[in-house]
This record gives sequence, structure tokens and C-alpha cells, in this order.
Amino acid sequence: MHIVDGALSNPVVIGGAMMAVAGIGMGLRRLDLERIPAAGVLSASFFVASLIHVPIGPSSVHLILNGLAGLVLGWAAFPALFVGLLLQAVFFGFGGLTVLGINTLNIALPAVLAWLLVGPMIPRGSPLAGAIWGGLGGALAIAGTTAMVALSLALSGDEFLPAARLVFVAHVPIMIIEGLLTGFAVLLARKVKPDLFTLSRGIPA
Amino acid sequence: MTRSALAVALSLLCTLPAPALAHKVIASVFPSGSAIEGELGFSNGDMAAGQEVLVLGPDGGELGRVTTDADGFFLFTPTEPVAHRFRADLGAGHVADVTMQAAEVAHLLGLAPGASTPDAPPPGDSGTPGALSSAQQAEIATLLRDELRPLRREIAAYREKNDLQSILGGIGYIFGLFGLSFYIAARRRLKKDS
Repeated sequence: MHIVDGALSNPVVIGGAMMAVAGIGMGLRRLDLERIPAAGVLSASFFVASLIHVPIGPSSVHLILNGLAGLVLGWAAFPALFVGLLLQAVFFGFGGLTVLGINTLNIALPAVLAWLLVGPMIPRGSPLAGAIWGGLGGALAIAGTTAMVALSLALSGDEFLPAARLVFVAHVPIMIIEGLLTGFAVLLARKVKPDLFTLSRGIPA
Repeated sequence: MTRSALAVALSLLCTLPAPALAHKVIASVFPSGSAIEGELGFSNGDMAAGQEVLVLGPDGGELGRVTTDADGFFLFTPTEPVAHRFRADLGAGHVADVTMQAAEVAHLLGLAPGASTPDAPPPGDSGTPGALSSAQQAEIATLLRDELRPLRREIAAYREKNDLQSILGGIGYIFGLFGLSFYIAARRRLKKDS
């Protein structure tokens, strides 16, 4: 999920960084006082989630949790995930500083897209229905991220389809796990703090 | 027919993901007798088996190619005392890139003064190396290398370990940063209200 330094060509890295800056700017404009604590908590969860390894077969995968951040924060997921990625690069050596922009874009953009697609469904209906939509959004965000990673590799010279298939297949288990996790998180939030998801709707997208 | 195709697809599904699931590449090179030995793998302990490694010179020209064995080790015998850059593309955005400096390669080739296998005990330490034949020295060096390999791997794994301090430190940074932005946002709002 984290692309490392030197894996991508320069135009992709620069283009990604510019788009990430635009996304962060957009997010910061929408990051109002009420949403800053939520952004901080989700940024911290994202930061730590990558250390939680879920053993699958002979290998293991780690959580990403970008879908949950997107569903709660909307565009503000960009700055929150950027901070998480920056600290992961500095503290753990995941990814790298030069590819920070493209990694932010790959992880935050699908989160925002998931929010745009299923976000409106979450505060509606019963908590269970909201949770199912939330789970779908969580899985969708991971699927989108795999597609973005494959696309960045393809633009740097890899063949798109094999690369996309490899990354996508590798992340099917994590899609299921994140879907369940996001679903339960939404279920809990709908029960104890129902206004969490209407908050990000305060400013129409 | 379809069943065997399905079995092939399933086994592919099981074997393909392994490298892509890991998230950090570990690569290291070290002198080994008159050759350069390297190790390639992922931070979760999976080693890259059968991976092609490109050996590049300082000018970017190709010096050769090697393939890793089942344990992710590879061996390359240098011929020129120049910096050697080892590069491997492990797929899905995982690229390994390590360099051995020219001085180290020259030392390895026996061009530097007082060259011996770096893993062997330094001469003068025990006062006996002169009494050993070169075959014996080579044997000792090989033995030492074999003994040191698990240790080296353990150190590499230890370096990749994320301890509680750095996790807590990172979380502290996040809360500090968002606290700061909270402060700025609150000030802005107060200014607007007054």
C-alpha cells in the first residue's frame, strides 16, 4: 500500500504531490473547529492501524482504515491521512518522503470518493442499514486505493492490468476485514454519537 | 479441465499476494570472502526467493545480474573496484536499492593494503594468523560467516521493530499538531465573534 522511494517515475511523483496539495488545501478549508478532534483521532488511528498485522495464510496484511476516515471527515480526510502518512514515513520508514504526495493521493482520494458515494446513506435509516453502507464504503476505499496504486505503477512503466490484478488480489482479505471493521465502527457511532456523520455534511460537497 | 484451471487459479491466488502484502523491503549487502553477499526480503520475515537483482556500476551501466536463492540470499563476485549498486523490483511498488561503496569493494578484491576477509579476526589480535595457511583462513572465514548470518538477520529484524516509544511519539505528534490547529481555528473564530 505504501509505495517506496524510487519506485515511481518523476512525473508521477510530482503530479501526485501537486494533486495531494490541492486535496489537502481543500480539506483544510473544510476542517472547521468542530471536526478537528475527530480528524486528530482518525489520523492517529490510521497511523497505528498500519502496525496491526492480521495474519492471513503464510503472510500477514496490515489495516489501513482510510475508508472510516473518509466517511467521518469527507474532504478533511486529506490532511488527516497526510499527517498519518508523514509520521509513518518518519517513524517507521513506511513509504518515503519523496513519494508522500502520491501516497496521500492514493489513500485519501478513494476515501473521499467513498464518502461521496455512500456517505449520504449512512445517517439515514436504521443504524444497521447505515453500518452496512459504511462497511461497503470501507471496502470500496481499499479497492479504490489498490486501483490508484496500480495506476501510479502503470504510469511509471509497469503494465497496468497485471499490476492492478496483483495489488487488488493481494488486498481482497483486507477489503473484507476493513469492511467489517468500518461497518461495526459506523454501527457503534450511529448508536452512541449519531451526529458524527451529519457533521461532515454541514458544508455541502 | 475446468477444475484443473480453477486449481491453478487458486494456487496462483495463494502464491501471488505474498510479496505484495508486505509493506517494507529489507535489503542489505556485505562482503563475503571475495564476493558480495546480499540479502533481500520483507520486514514481515518473508524472504524474496528467485528474485532477479540487477547489479549496476556507478555510471548506471549494468555489471551483471544475480538471482536470489530460496532464503533470499544472493552472491555476486565483483571484478572492478567501483561502487556496486544492487537494484531489484519486487513488484507492486516495492523496490530495493542498496549500494556497496567503492572502497569496500576494493578492500574485498584485495586491492587495499592489509586486505583480508573482513569477517576474519583482525591480524595481530591473536598473533597467529600468519601461522595459518590460506585454506585454513578461508575455512575460518566461512565458518564465521555462517555463524554470524543468523545474528545479522536478527539485527536487521530488530532494526525494523517498532517499539512503543516511537508509536507513542508519533501519536503525541499527531495530537500536538491537531491541538495546534484547534488553537488556531479557535482563535480565528474568537476574532470573528468579537
